[in-house]
Amino acid sequence: MFGTFCAVNDVSLDIQKGEFLTLLGPSGSGKTTLLMMIAGFLDITSGDISLDSETLIGVPPEKRNFGMVFQGYALFPHMTVRDNIGYALSVRKTPKAEIDIRVEEMLELVQLQSFADRKPNQLSGGQQQRVALARALCFSPPVLLLDEPLGALDKKLRVEVQEQLKDIHRRVGTTFIYVTHDQEEALSMSDRVVIMRDGAIEQIGSPKELYEKPESKFSAGFLGKSNFLYLEDGTYALRPEKIDIAAEGAGAAPRMTGKVRSVTYFGSIQRVMVETDEAGELEVDVDNWRNPTSFRAGQNVDLMWEDHAAVMLQRSED
Amino acid sequence: MSDKQFMRETLVEGAHAFKAGKMDRRTFLALCGATGFVSASVLAGDAQAAADHVVMWNWGGQSEECHGSAIGEAFTAATGKGLKFDTSGPLEGKIKEMVDSGNVTADVADADLFNAVSLGPTGHLEAIDYSVVSKEKTLPGYALEHGVSIILYGYAFVYDTEAYGDNPPENWADFFDTEKFPGMRSLYKWANGSLEAALLADGVAGDALYPLDMGRALSKIKSIKDNSLYWGSGSAAHSMVVNGEVSMGMIWQNRGRNIENDTDGRYKLVNNQALAMPGAYIVPKGNPAGRDAVMKFIATAQEVDAQLKLLDCLGMTPSNPAAFNKIPEGQQDYAITSAKNIEKIVYNDPDWWGKNGGDAVNAFLEAIS
Amino acid sequence: MLALRKHISPGWWLVAPFFLLVACLYLGPILNILWLSLSDPEPGLQNYSKLVESDTLARIMWTTIRICVITTGFAVILGYSIAYAMVHAYRREQSFMLTFLLVSFWISILVRTFSWLMLLGRKGPINEGFEAIGLISEPVAFMRNELGVLIGMVHYMIPYAVLPLLVNMQTLDQRVMSASRNLGASASQTFFRIYLPMTTPGIVASALLVFILSLGFYVTPAVLGGGKVLMVAEYISVQLLVTVKWGVAAMLAALMLAGVLAMLWIMSKFMKLSTVFGGASS
Repeated sequence: MFGTFCAVNDVSLDIQKGEFLTLLGPSGSGKTTLLMMIAGFLDITSGDISLDSETLIGVPPEKRNFGMVFQGYALFPHMTVRDNIGYALSVRKTPKAEIDIRVEEMLELVQLQSFADRKPNQLSGGQQQRVALARALCFSPPVLLLDEPLGALDKKLRVEVQEQLKDIHRRVGTTFIYVTHDQEEALSMSDRVVIMRDGAIEQIGSPKELYEKPESKFSAGFLGKSNFLYLEDGTYALRPEKIDIAAEGAGAAPRMTGKVRSVTYFGSIQRVMVETDEAGELEVDVDNWRNPTSFRAGQNVDLMWEDHAAVMLQRSED
Repeated sequence: MSDKQFMRETLVEGAHAFKAGKMDRRTFLALCGATGFVSASVLAGDAQAAADHVVMWNWGGQSEECHGSAIGEAFTAATGKGLKFDTSGPLEGKIKEMVDSGNVTADVADADLFNAVSLGPTGHLEAIDYSVVSKEKTLPGYALEHGVSIILYGYAFVYDTEAYGDNPPENWADFFDTEKFPGMRSLYKWANGSLEAALLADGVAGDALYPLDMGRALSKIKSIKDNSLYWGSGSAAHSMVVNGEVSMGMIWQNRGRNIENDTDGRYKLVNNQALAMPGAYIVPKGNPAGRDAVMKFIATAQEVDAQLKLLDCLGMTPSNPAAFNKIPEGQQDYAITSAKNIEKIVYNDPDWWGKNGGDAVNAFLEAIS
Repeated sequence: MLALRKHISPGWWLVAPFFLLVACLYLGPILNILWLSLSDPEPGLQNYSKLVESDTLARIMWTTIRICVITTGFAVILGYSIAYAMVHAYRREQSFMLTFLLVSFWISILVRTFSWLMLLGRKGPINEGFEAIGLISEPVAFMRNELGVLIGMVHYMIPYAVLPLLVNMQTLDQRVMSASRNLGASASQTFFRIYLPMTTPGIVASALLVFILSLGFYVTPAVLGGGKVLMVAEYISVQLLVTVKWGVAAMLAALMLAGVLAMLWIMSKFMKLSTVFGGASS
């Protein structure tokens, strides 16, 4: 059990030892601010941040023992990779031999053994990212904070590094607190995701919980796509892939009927936008393998879904 | 040395005089305006214009007004030619550069007589035409082939009457005696006057100074090095005294009156053994107005009337013996060739300075730095 | 011609006349000075041999170098503190400080020099104030000596020291410093192990600028040194204007130029000069 993290706007959050927790939100949602407060670079005006039920208020950043991977990596440009990684131990006056051994371990962990004596500006973006990771993990911090660590990488490399990060998390067992605005990244890597909005927590849960049981329109819309149904007893979120579609009259017990406005083909799916009387425009993702029917604009269709596919939102305000 | 920056500082004094109400606003503005106008006309300087005026190269400031009223007006009345100024200061190096470049824009330079000795033989100066200029209207020995002394200025000293009130210093020997007269001293930085003062203090007779015994002079200078400051401009000499930085200071004697006034009489001028420096008019080789015109101008400056006006306006002492006994009573204390002072002064030898000045300055700088 | 065109972009031909003009305007006078130092008053190396023969020249050089080094040291240290404070101040204070810094550029060196003379002179407010509260029994000689020259020069040079440092510090990524703190380094460890090395190009640029400008200093040493602190620039001026020994003046000028170039060359052995002069660091 990891104590309670409190930040502005009444954020209250327990983080489990060893978990991979992601703070997810659009820019300006306060996720980086929260991370900086945890790291000690920003002061909090009220509330408490504690580690193992000991408060961290008033403890300067260098005494908190949290590793951190910065946006843009913030490597020391005048030092070699080796010196960058060993810095945390070196400022702790660790004996040189000990540092050397630990740095070698880290180099191996991030597979940069052959780059140890280069300067950061002689490395690629992905390599720099790994140096930043190794540097932050070198002193075995109980918590590693990562601030959009993959933001500067291109899409293909990012997927690769995501795998490496997960792998490293598994191997070192350190608690990761990970900030990102990329929902796929959040879903694929995290044990738990905290969706943040306007400096407050919108919803906390495992990726599956958040996806399957969004509590608000914001959660539902930010994590994946969602249709919203405004019924008498409340607002429901309905994921596009959970709607079945058939030509008019071909569906069994259709819940709604509507007219196709547009069809977009994506290979594995086709996205059909259907105009309904009851719920306005609905997005339907059709699995092309399971439902090879081709739809065309102007066509009338039947829409069906199972009862539990539509999730009633606990908070229906915007 | 030829660093007659004190000419320039007359502008400062002009401003002082203006503040004190001695100069009316219109004159002051005219003075300021004239500087701009004259600079522009000198820059324009086409050959046609050059024929009908003489360009005087001096240190600017009040000397423009004074040279105009003391010499220019009479010269224009006699010849119909005007007088213009280049106020950039005729240092020896600048004269040499001007002549060497072949672009001579000045007719007569308000310089030192020893400049005539050093620049004459190298072909940088016109010879003085003694059929127009008079050898009698200056002190003997001060009418040289390439220059003639028009005025004299002097190195004298002032002392702090509060420090030495009962037993005031009287000569250079006292000036250099820091045991009997403890306190700081100030001397001229470019050797001139300082070397002579040192030798006089060391017991050399005033008429046996030259050739200067450099070794002896410098060792005397070094004997008070820790107790002395050196000034390179009249304003520095002035401020060292007025700010109380020194209890005895060598000054240009024409500043004596100002210093006595500015310190409410606390500092007093001593003219005994004042070193008379011949200020001279010299003519750059190939001057634009031609030799005849400029010789007439120099002759005009020698006249008693012009000499007395220069004294009145700039504090420069006449070098024409005919003017000596016509110095007004109120100015006699501060004029080194007045009846009150002339017996006590020591004359500078421009020949020695012209031939040895450069080395002397460097040796002096070496000794004091 | 054809072969030449392959290698030289036609753009160069357009700028060539101006390039040549500028080259002549710069190189002409420099060559003239070199020539003068070898030919005045008569052809030969006698001007240069004076360097060995006369200990005056050696002493003037030594005085100049000593004063310039000390000035550079103090100006850079003080300039560093000011630049550091400016970079870390709020935006409003920062522009306020920058204005102050630039205003000091506009005040004539003579005015600044004489202000020091008044402030720290024997009858200045500092001395009189200290005497009044009994801290000293007689005035401290701040002025008219080497100390005075140093005070005046350091003061004049500080803005020149600040600007390159400011530019350098403003381009630093503050996250690097945060990273250092996060990794357990104290504030002072972060400063000495991270900030200082990262600002080295700024320090070198600032020191070079101040040192080279100091070499040419003339007015301040002449006034505040009381005539006893003779530096090369003033000596050159005396040799040009007063004693008319142009050969010696040219020789000293050539020597100073060579000294500055040698300094740049040595520096270039240790670091890329382009980073010092604001080029991209590689």
